[in-house]
Amino acid sequence: MIQTYDPRGVVGAEKKTVAARVKSLDGLRLGILDNTKWNANKLLRELRDQLQSGHKLAAANYYRKESFSRFADPALVERIRRENDIVVTAIGD
Amino acid sequence: MSAQLAPASATSVPEGTDLVEWYYDKGYSDGLPVVPPTPAKVAAMLEALGGEPHELEARVPPRWGGLTREVLAINMVMAGCKPEYAPVVRAAMLALCETAFNLNGVQATTHMASPLLVVNGPIARRIGMNAGCNAFGSGNRANATIGRAIRLILLNVGGGWPGDLDKSTLGHPGKYTYAVAENEELGLLSPYHVEKGFQAEDSTVFVMAAEPPHSVTNHVANDPQGILDSVCSAMSTFAHNNAVSSGHCAVVLGPEHATTISKHGWKRHDIKNYLWMNSGNTFGQVSFHHRYGKVYNRSLPVWYKREPDSRIPVVPSAENIHLFVIGGEAGRFSAFIPGWGHMTSPVLREIEGKAGPAASGPRCVDGTCYL
Amino acid sequence: MHDGISLESLGVPTAVIVTSTFLHEARVQREALGMAGIVPVVIDHPLSSISDEEIRGRAAQALAQVIGVWQGTQPDPS
Repeated sequence: MIQTYDPRGVVGAEKKTVAARVKSLDGLRLGILDNTKWNANKLLRELRDQLQSGHKLAAANYYRKESFSRFADPALVERIRRENDIVVTAIGD
Repeated sequence: MSAQLAPASATSVPEGTDLVEWYYDKGYSDGLPVVPPTPAKVAAMLEALGGEPHELEARVPPRWGGLTREVLAINMVMAGCKPEYAPVVRAAMLALCETAFNLNGVQATTHMASPLLVVNGPIARRIGMNAGCNAFGSGNRANATIGRAIRLILLNVGGGWPGDLDKSTLGHPGKYTYAVAENEELGLLSPYHVEKGFQAEDSTVFVMAAEPPHSVTNHVANDPQGILDSVCSAMSTFAHNNAVSSGHCAVVLGPEHATTISKHGWKRHDIKNYLWMNSGNTFGQVSFHHRYGKVYNRSLPVWYKREPDSRIPVVPSAENIHLFVIGGEAGRFSAFIPGWGHMTSPVLREIEGKAGPAASGPRCVDGTCYL
Repeated sequence: MHDGISLESLGVPTAVIVTSTFLHEARVQREALGMAGIVPVVIDHPLSSISDEEIRGRAAQALAQVIGVWQGTQPDPS
């Protein structure tokens, strides 16, 4: 037999679970994270307006990434975590 | 995680199997035949990397596959590398996986950008890299296989397969291999890495997400301005990504051009600033004169004016132009190499050891030496 | 996905909107980053070169999915 090799390496991240879900949106602070790709802002503003008119949100906070392709700065992520109960983000395209 | 430590050599096939076809069938090839790894070849490569097969060098996006030394060795053997190239390939992969480079974005983008490697310092000569005639072309094992090893890792470990996670609309030939060395031997300008604060005897690798080189021809000018005006012309188009996405770019001076420029006493600082000052587009051009709606373009710095005739530099500063002397001694050609944009930053990394300028103190930082 | 996963792992339910061509990559990324349970919100591709009217249509497409993700009722897109 001849030895063969797998050049791919293993994907092995430690498993993470999602956050606890919410029941009602009333009284919650909504965070909106815009990654600044084209039209993400228009989409998110429309969603924000719809959510505000349909629910009693405590706040709607808008954040913009420095650069659409890079991961969000950890300080920004921490600020969003502190200031919001639910988040919507766009756009992966 | 124990899964990470599973050996990458756990399979075997019957004697007489066509191994070149086997690796093709498994989907591990860049399109060209790979060198089937053998235990001896992998061991030699691993030894050049310092042993410790399960040592994790990096995780390669967007798949975040674990690039252990064993996996790195396997891909290098498949590419056709010699063990002596190992420090260069490792340093390049570490540079590519630094946060600033944003390899995740470069792998996935619809743009054609692909990592360009430029090696400086004694290692280039020691391993036989080509910094001269046809440096960006074929015919040199070190250039060819170092660049190819990078691409095989980006494919196999990173998962950047075309049409799958690599969404590049067109791709470009540099996605087979794109690795060169600077021509320091001719001594026409200070080497790139010395400009950036390393000692001449340090060896470094520079990585940048790059479009293919755009040839700049000038067989007429016998002074720096004329030659550099031709380079400026190549830069001053709104077709390349820097024009609308900012970021970094590279300029390569062929030796004949570099000789003329150097004979007139111009240094790197002079060249980069001339290029920066005398190239660019208008805001009207990069906004298509608002034909498709009012454009602000948040990818460009806020300090650019947005009037129709405002000058929009190709990159925000002369320091975003990475200048190299590369090529053969005959021919009055240079090249402009656009980058991807502000979404990535080039990385310069020492080969073997420290990740920044020499501990003994950089001689020139922030342009203070005007090399 | 990366930012969404960061926020979820910090305890904030996050609806990540992707266009349909990006769904495959989103799935690969969530596996690679260890959070197979994050549910993306999918809208038609493209978003970048469409009219304001069409953008409103995308928002309508996303709205129920976004709320469903936060409440845990949104199934994983097929």
